[in-house]
Amino acid sequence: MKRVAWLSLFLCSTSLAQTPDLTALEQTAQKRNAEWEAQAKSLEERLARILPCDARSSAAITEVKGLSEARLAALSDYIRAVSAKAFAETAAAKALLSAEERRAIEASRERADAGQEQTAVDIQSDSLLQSINQRSSLQDAQKLLEQIGALIRQRSAESQRQADAAEKTIPILRDLVAKFEARDLALQNESAAFEAERTRWSGYYSARQARAQTECSITQIGAAPQPAKSAPKGKAKQ
Amino acid sequence: MKLSRMRFAGIWIWGAAGLIGQTSREAYRQDYDAWREVHANLERDAGSGGATLIPQVDRAAARVAAFGTNRAAYAKAAAQTAAQQRQALQATTTRPSANLAPATLSDLVKSDLQTVTKTITRFADDKDRGIQQLRQSLERERDALGALNDSIEARQKAVAATTAAASALEQVRVRAAETIGAETSALSQNSVQLEKETAAWAAYYEGLAKAIQIANAPPPRVEVTTVVPRNDSAPGVPRARYVGAWTYPVSNGIYHGAQPEFVDVVVHETNGHADGTLFARFKLSGGATDPLVRFDFQGDFAAAPLQRFPLMTSEGTGGTIELIPGPAFNLLEVNFVTDPRQGKINVGNFILVKK
Repeated sequence: MKRVAWLSLFLCSTSLAQTPDLTALEQTAQKRNAEWEAQAKSLEERLARILPCDARSSAAITEVKGLSEARLAALSDYIRAVSAKAFAETAAAKALLSAEERRAIEASRERADAGQEQTAVDIQSDSLLQSINQRSSLQDAQKLLEQIGALIRQRSAESQRQADAAEKTIPILRDLVAKFEARDLALQNESAAFEAERTRWSGYYSARQARAQTECSITQIGAAPQPAKSAPKGKAKQ
Repeated sequence: MKLSRMRFAGIWIWGAAGLIGQTSREAYRQDYDAWREVHANLERDAGSGGATLIPQVDRAAARVAAFGTNRAAYAKAAAQTAAQQRQALQATTTRPSANLAPATLSDLVKSDLQTVTKTITRFADDKDRGIQQLRQSLERERDALGALNDSIEARQKAVAATTAAASALEQVRVRAAETIGAETSALSQNSVQLEKETAAWAAYYEGLAKAIQIANAPPPRVEVTTVVPRNDSAPGVPRARYVGAWTYPVSNGIYHGAQPEFVDVVVHETNGHADGTLFARFKLSGGATDPLVRFDFQGDFAAAPLQRFPLMTSEGTGGTIELIPGPAFNLLEVNFVTDPRQGKINVGNFILVKK
């Protein structure tokens, strides 16, 4: 049982050690976002100044779409790393709760042990008092036994206090684990929402590209002149 | 007193040896049971028992030392483990950055959505086939933007929920860290307390053994109504417990301080007067350069188990020697102290066997 707890702690620590640098990932994600945003904001304005069949029109949309995908990939890396670190924290918290529950049981056993030892010393002390009536040289030993009794009483009181404290700590840790799990669930939801949004962005740029193609096909304005053999019907318009 | 220390030194070594591989609760509870079993009714028996109780005291002392040492080691290891595990509560919990879901993103999409919707409205009544194709294309784009806008809003809500959950978690984490932090330091004090108890038990058994040995001596005479001949023995302790030739055993000798290689002591008695010699060689340690000790001693036997006589070394240095009957008839404990001299051994404590 102890080994399992240590193994889980080890795995958690290993996992934490392998977690990429979140700050660096966040900075990358912000950089990619800024790069995309700069181009995305001006996309419609730039497209309005390009003829529908101008190759630059499709290229502009493709470029912004590429920047969008790079942004979303960086964001995905960041969210994945945050989740890994968060889940490792939760595993460590669960291991701690489990260990503290065992410690609480241990504390109550300690309390019982101290009580048993106290009783044994009291019996010894009574017997020694009887023996002192026969041999007074045992008086010093009696004093030492009384000191031991005092030490055990002190420990017994501390065991009681620690057992009580452990009883109070467990609900706090259970609440903590519940909060860790709630945070993780929220993170999972956020991750799922992000993936859904990622798909929507892809769908939007496809629709935008399709509209640009429709604009070109219905106007045929701005297309580069075709070589004679590849444009036999001469559909290109001025 | 010094002999008891020897005994306890041995006990501690024994106890430490027993510690190897025994730091579980079960192990130290077994030690506890073994100790209580050996201890039995020592206090009751101490009132009437004699030197035969000493081995039982020694065994009980050894058992409690093993028990105390193991338990303190267990408590220390448990406190260290707890401290390590509780470190997990010290670090701030992870929360994703909210900056990666900027409001400008939503604004951009909404703006595009408005533009596309307006354009669709503008072409609503146009019957031109090309325009209708364009309008259909715009409608697909509008639907894509609408879905995108919905998913952005959903993610923003999810980010807000994560932020709220992370904040709630952090509050509880801080509270738990504070609560458990105080207990961690209390836990680390357990082993200190247990070590104190173990030392107190050692002192107790030492005192008990001493008291039992003293108890063996008969009460001192209160009144002497007749002239005691000089050749009377010390009451209750035969002179034979001191007189004779004594030697340090070849193996398993018991000593405290300088380790003897050999010791020869001869004690004579004439009319209640003792005289004797001691010749010994010790292993050199500390600042001593001369391994040999030789001195004569003499004085009157006292009416007590412990006999103390002045001594004079072969170099003319003074000191005292104590002769204490051992737990068995053929054993004699010897303590000597001489005035300190450069390179000389001036203290010795060991048990001799009668030749």
